Amino acid sequence: MKVLEIKNVHKIYNSSEVKVHAVNDISLDFEEGDFAAIVGPSGSGKTTLLNLIGGLDSPTEGEIIVDHINLAGLKSSGLIDFRMRNIGFVFQSYNLIPVLTAKENVEFIMNLQKWNKKERDERTLELLKAVGLEDRINSRPAKLSGGQQQRVAVARALASKPKFVLADEPTANLDSKSTETLLNIMEELNREEGITFIFSTHDARVVKKARRVITIEDGQVISDERKN
Amino acid sequence: MIWKTAWKNVWRNKVRSLVVIISVTIGIFGGVFAIAIMNGAIEQRVDAALNDEISHIHINDPAFRDNYDIQLTLDQPDHLLQTIEATPGITAVTFRTIITGMANTATKSAGVQILGIDPEKEKTVFRLYETTIPGTGDFFEEESRHLLAYIGEDLAKELNIIRYRIDEPVLEALVRKEVPLSVMEKLRPFVGYRFKSEKSFQKEIKGVLTLKEQRDYGRVIREEAWSFRQRSRMTLTFLDNEQMQTGAVFRIAGIFDIRNSMFEMSHILVKNSDLLQLTGLAPDQFHQMIIKLEDMQSATEISTTLSEKLPDLEVMNWKEIQPDLAMMTDMIQKVYTIFMVIILAALAFGIVNTMLMVVLERTKELGMLTAIGMNKKRVFNMIMLESVFLSLVGGIVGMVISQAVIVLTARNGINFASYQEGMEAMGYTAHIYPVISPLFFVMVTILIIITGILSSIYPALKALKLDPAEALRTE
Repeated sequence: MKVLEIKNVHKIYNSSEVKVHAVNDISLDFEEGDFAAIVGPSGSGKTTLLNLIGGLDSPTEGEIIVDHINLAGLKSSGLIDFRMRNIGFVFQSYNLIPVLTAKENVEFIMNLQKWNKKERDERTLELLKAVGLEDRINSRPAKLSGGQQQRVAVARALASKPKFVLADEPTANLDSKSTETLLNIMEELNREEGITFIFSTHDARVVKKARRVITIEDGQVISDERKN
Repeated sequence: MIWKTAWKNVWRNKVRSLVVIISVTIGIFGGVFAIAIMNGAIEQRVDAALNDEISHIHINDPAFRDNYDIQLTLDQPDHLLQTIEATPGITAVTFRTIITGMANTATKSAGVQILGIDPEKEKTVFRLYETTIPGTGDFFEEESRHLLAYIGEDLAKELNIIRYRIDEPVLEALVRKEVPLSVMEKLRPFVGYRFKSEKSFQKEIKGVLTLKEQRDYGRVIREEAWSFRQRSRMTLTFLDNEQMQTGAVFRIAGIFDIRNSMFEMSHILVKNSDLLQLTGLAPDQFHQMIIKLEDMQSATEISTTLSEKLPDLEVMNWKEIQPDLAMMTDMIQKVYTIFMVIILAALAFGIVNTMLMVVLERTKELGMLTAIGMNKKRVFNMIMLESVFLSLVGGIVGMVISQAVIVLTARNGINFASYQEGMEAMGYTAHIYPVISPLFFVMVTILIIITGILSSIYPALKALKLDPAEALRTE
């Protein structure tokens, strides 16, 4: 079942002197449960494409439809609500809230969605167990390693059971061991919860793990391969 | 969660937050304590005015206040008293005969208002008798074959009834009060000398003491050198009922000190029976009924009731008799509020600056929060709460310190000795007991919250304008 359709999307940045065609006529579909990596060199448009999919930026032309909802039809407040309910984000530099503990970071979105305490506690514990941090629930980000912080970020991204998770260079700051652990966790969660994962990366370890690899260059899709 | 996050964010940069909190604390403490001193002075002034000088309601002939005509007495005093006593809310009533005249001693004279009183009834309405300076008299307690007068300290000084002297007992008393020997040596040449007036005493003392010595010990030297000769005399002259000049010699039955020069200089109390005899008024004739109420706030209501019952007489409550007092009590809360608003407005700029830095430093985090679904209202609320917490922590600490200092200083009061003369000339005591009502703290708390909210608006709007995609790219 399609969860995401990208139809002839363009994104053009107009600065005073230069016109940058960051995304150039991209059309893609994503199925529920995809574990896809968008790869390409720096400046190829990976992050721009992820921002467009996540509703953080709007296309200059074309349509992005998530679960039959055309993002172009949503206003700013509607987009924020859409992101809260449908998308989990994992960022390159973790972006946890430094004053909150691992548990509080994970349950933050559930709080925004007004889940009750019992449900929140259960879900938080379940996710922190899944990412192997059940013994660090009360640790603040500063007390966790980079890999552990990114695992908390993954748990946070999955907390409200989103339709898909967008991960922008999630392993860029991690060592090999942490990368492997994180990828295994994400793959397991992808299988268990059926949540679609879309990464932007140029990390070969991620590419190896991904079941679908989309290569883009100069804002255009060069190849779209599915592995068996 | 927003509240908890905002609270934790306040302590993210402890030094910066503490700088803001300390500035708010100092501002609030300064404002509250200054107001407590002002409020204490005003409450003491109102209290002194109502208990020593005017009480709550006056009833007299409508034309009496124009020129204090001796013949404008109140008729049917018994009927009047019945009417007054039947009115609820009244605790005591006294009456006075009031005439203007001159007080004379061998060297000085002064224009005064002579109040003929019944000492026992007077005590039920006024507590002036409690302010008698020890050793100067007993407020008409002791029977005497002489005519007696009860006068203010400043008038006694003016008429040279109070004099100043330095002798061995005075020097011994000064030693006990820890006046240094160097100062004592400077005073020794004056032993045995009597000064005719306070002015001449002070002139001589200023001639020998340094400015610092005058500031540190001038007051205690003046208090110890103060001397009064028992049963000193003065002559009171005035017009009698027939408009003929009359007068008599009065001995001093006590000297009162209410720290109000104006009142002390212009009022002399004598027994009403003596005054009636000298003026030729009948025993049931007097000029003014003075009423003390259970509650000073009911004065307007009760004076209106009495005005309706006594349409031919002038009934005035304390707010009408001394409009300056009424204005002070009515306006002072507004003045305090304006004072605090100005202090908080100044502090608000510091808070705005801090919150702008907070938004700038957390651009990426704010972008992330918006990206994961925190809407504008919640972002605004979080920043607003941080600002309110910052202000409120400083404010609460400031109020706690203020209250502690108020309680400590209220035990013994604060003595503004260097301003005594000026303050007493305006009717204010220089020894002030700071006081503030709990309601004032509620008002300050509300103002602090409002300051926090207003200070957060500009930084919060800046945060709302952030583009999440761009903010996330910030390093």
